[in-house]
Amino acid sequence: MSGSGTYLYAVTRPLAGSSLEGVRGIGGEPVRTVAAGEVACVVSTVGLDEFGEEPLQRNLEDLAWLERVAREHDAIVQALADLTTVVPLRLGAVYVDDDSAAARVARLRSAALATLDVLDGREEWGVKVYAVEPPVQNGTGPADRPSSGLEYLRRRRGELERKAVDAQALAQDADSVFEDLRTVAVLARRHRPQDPALSGVKQPMLLNAAFLVGRDGRPEFHHAVDRLAQSRPEGAVVLTGPWPPYSFATLDDA
Amino acid sequence: MSESFELAVIENRNSLVDLLDRVLATGVVLSGDVTLCLAGVDLVTVKLRALITTVREGGDG
Repeated sequence: MSGSGTYLYAVTRPLAGSSLEGVRGIGGEPVRTVAAGEVACVVSTVGLDEFGEEPLQRNLEDLAWLERVAREHDAIVQALADLTTVVPLRLGAVYVDDDSAAARVARLRSAALATLDVLDGREEWGVKVYAVEPPVQNGTGPADRPSSGLEYLRRRRGELERKAVDAQALAQDADSVFEDLRTVAVLARRHRPQDPALSGVKQPMLLNAAFLVGRDGRPEFHHAVDRLAQSRPEGAVVLTGPWPPYSFATLDDA
Repeated sequence: MSESFELAVIENRNSLVDLLDRVLATGVVLSGDVTLCLAGVDLVTVKLRALITTVREGGDG
């Protein structure tokens, strides 16, 4: 299937068309807005040879393709966030044409307006917390070998029990950090902790969270993250941002 | 910037994984009429599995 479709990046309040002049979307196509009642769709044209359902499924498995499109998508959303309040869409919403995209969004305009109100003047920050290895216990030296198979099994069970207790302690630690930072944010949500193979960090990730913070609340939030970081080993706490409010964009389909 | 951070590591928004957490796992899900497949699918589980494989295959360990 070839031809072209309309890729939807985000929903905003109506924007002057001129404000997006020169902004290029995926594949270098011009970005434009399409009115959908009291809100606007920000879109560009994409080829269905790349973004049709089947090719898209395939392309999402291709890391180089995914990285390029994710960064292009993000660049547009970020450019919009610099101009106005933005409700980002998940990557990959493609419609047959502008009218179809606008009709879809127009049905959700009251939810979109409510979300825009929540996101006004606010930005997203990411906080990742890594578990840090407890100090090596030297209680069992190399000479201290199990004296029997039974002794080995007993020790092994003790080890597993300790690990279970550790895992529980780590989970509680993550919960308490999350709850703590949540008190200085407007909204908070947890992402799945990143796999070490992806994060490139050997230590397991305890917490991968996003916080919606008012721009005027930034110093207070940073201060709280700073306090958290100071209470932990170097590198255990990583702050990212500011992000457009990806993690807080919802439109409940009424 | 006047704020000083002693220990918190502030990263720029360069990490692909952090970006994918957001653009694939969050953001409004609106079914497109072309890409119906993305609606309601836990895309990130499927895709990240593929990603991990890719990273492992191409990576330096």
